[in-house]
Amino acid sequence: MLGMSRSLATAGATLSLLATFAWSPVPAQAQDPDVTLEFVVWNYSLDTIADNVRLFEEANPGIKVNVTDYTWPDYHDSLVLRFRGNTQTDVIYGGQDWLPAWAAAGFLAPLNEIAPEAIEAYRADLAGFTLNDMTYDGNLYGLPYYADTISFIYNQRILNDAGIEVPTTWEEVADAARKLKANGMERPIVYEFNQELPNFFDAFVAQVYGRGGDLFDENGEAIFDQPDNAAFQQLSWLRDVIADELVAFENHESTIIPAMNSGNHAFTIVYNYVLAAMNNTADQPLAGEFALARMPGEAQSTLGFTKFYAITAQAAGDDARREAAWKFVDFMAGPPYAVAKRWAVEKGLGFGQLPLLEDEEVIEAWSSWVLMPTLQAQVETAHGGTWKEWTAIWAASFRPLMAQAMIGEASVEDVMSQGATRWNELKAQMAAR
Amino acid sequence: MWRSARFPFLWVGAPLLLVALFTVVPIGHTLWTSLHSAHFLFPDELNWSGLDNYRKVIAGPFFVQTLKNSLLFTAITAPVVVGLGIATALLLQRHFLGRAVLRSVVLLPWVLPGTITAVLWIWVFNPSWGMLNTWLRVLGLISSSIPWLSDPNLAFASVAVAHIWSQVPFSVVLIMAALSTIDPALFEAARIDGANAWQRFRHVVWPAIKAMVVVLLVYNALTAFTTYDVVYAMTGGGPGTATSLLSFQIWRESFSMYDFGAGSAVAFLVVAMAGLMIVAITRALPSDLFAATEDEAS
Repeated sequence: MLGMSRSLATAGATLSLLATFAWSPVPAQAQDPDVTLEFVVWNYSLDTIADNVRLFEEANPGIKVNVTDYTWPDYHDSLVLRFRGNTQTDVIYGGQDWLPAWAAAGFLAPLNEIAPEAIEAYRADLAGFTLNDMTYDGNLYGLPYYADTISFIYNQRILNDAGIEVPTTWEEVADAARKLKANGMERPIVYEFNQELPNFFDAFVAQVYGRGGDLFDENGEAIFDQPDNAAFQQLSWLRDVIADELVAFENHESTIIPAMNSGNHAFTIVYNYVLAAMNNTADQPLAGEFALARMPGEAQSTLGFTKFYAITAQAAGDDARREAAWKFVDFMAGPPYAVAKRWAVEKGLGFGQLPLLEDEEVIEAWSSWVLMPTLQAQVETAHGGTWKEWTAIWAASFRPLMAQAMIGEASVEDVMSQGATRWNELKAQMAAR
Repeated sequence: MWRSARFPFLWVGAPLLLVALFTVVPIGHTLWTSLHSAHFLFPDELNWSGLDNYRKVIAGPFFVQTLKNSLLFTAITAPVVVGLGIATALLLQRHFLGRAVLRSVVLLPWVLPGTITAVLWIWVFNPSWGMLNTWLRVLGLISSSIPWLSDPNLAFASVAVAHIWSQVPFSVVLIMAALSTIDPALFEAARIDGANAWQRFRHVVWPAIKAMVVVLLVYNALTAFTTYDVVYAMTGGGPGTATSLLSFQIWRESFSMYDFGAGSAVAFLVVAMAGLMIVAITRALPSDLFAATEDEAS
């Protein structure tokens, strides 16, 4: 039943996507420049990307789009190499954490300078944290590919069978895990532990937001080295539950899905679309058992973030490429938001385009894998991270330190002290320029 | 009459040019970059910085640990790879049913890219559903999962196992090539003289393969010292710094921290240390090691 409604929703979304582009006012073929755009993506759902590109090319006969994909772990480095090597790159998937550095280095072009009127008109449709994530120095550098929150996921059958209430604080999570362990579950929490991925830091920030704290004060100074800070407390919590052998590690979100579906774990912390995959009746044995709870902690807030389509400065420097790149980005992320809707319906990807929140097909499709009121409450309390020019650099050095503290190789005090010192050094270096 | 000795520079010129193009130029560029502040964030600010990058990386939180890890990794894996290579080659020299199939299977890891090797071994070592923990449970040897890739000591050992597995086939091939040069009559004579297996190895096999063993030790020491892909894909250098090697640190400085000057400094240090390692090993060799081979060649 769940699968059938999902299939119908998918078919509906595809049809509406086709219909939208078949009937949308397409510029005359003769006016289109003869351009081949280089579109660089990470390799999530390449079939859907290729199909969206095909639809764009059919609607814009003068423009071809060449898709180059990298794995998620390699994506950032590959982009850096392309930028450094001046490899032709026109439209990319960008991320909120990389934007300040890439924009400051002059590798990306502001969309409000490429299509000022359209961008002004679209702003009202975009969620607040999404706009924040795509903005640097007052300029908007992207339109959303997807926007999501990091959420606390649990297996409701396991909790029901054990008579455990859904935990609302981290202390309750630890207590529930200890009870499940006493009942025979070896490691009730499964955690994505890959210190080289941004996810590793993002998930931690989401937990800190759950506690109602932040790593930085309003002036951007690091405050997480203070023992009463929520980040300090959360890293200590992680160290303790890992030391108590309550946590199993997986090194990628894709392996969290089968791990949770093995029935050997009750809790995890992942992006929402991973919940959609966990509850997919087509290929997951325990589909339907997983639910989203608001992030534990006093505030029950979480991290919201946005991945977006951005146009490179290289493309913007060429009239024909700039025009073609904007048409492509507008097609992929602009009104009537058909591509974003397709991602939402077929893959469960979140979105930054607010009108989709009221779209019946989206609501129907999402209701098959998540309780919409809980998700809505989580999204409403989510807020964006602190993204500065040096955040990505700093996080790269802080993530291994965090990992050391989590596994007990270094003390939380030392790690937080080193991390805060490094943050403040980078901040001062940047200010001195 | 054409003789290679008549135009020595002509003959060595072409390969030397290739070596210069693909080795000397990149190393020279790395050295040049390491002496400048080359930051991704500021592509237009390429300033001379002297030895600042070297001071920065050596004093940084990761260099000393990654150097220790690299030296330990090299010291463990290079001899094990060569030792297993010798043992496997000797086994494959024997005549038994399925030898041809086994020879092909043994060589398989050699043709796999490092990242594929890493993925295979992640499947083996995965704590929840990995093959190793499953077997150990079935055999009743463990009652709870062993965190192969998240315990610092086990992670280092696990990565070393994956690296050794991927490198052994090359040693097998070269040792087998060396073994094929031994006259079977020597074995026969040794048997008739009453030599046991160890004595046959010591006095017949070893003299024929010792030069190759040294070459393989040098090669595997350098491979281990500069390995990157298996570590990156299996553990990301973690947990913490447990499996961070110097080559991984080059990547981290350059691409994670955007500091190509610092990354180049680590890279040049690796090149310098690898060069020293080659010189040290070569000088430690007995002077007559290659004598027999040279005599035969002449």
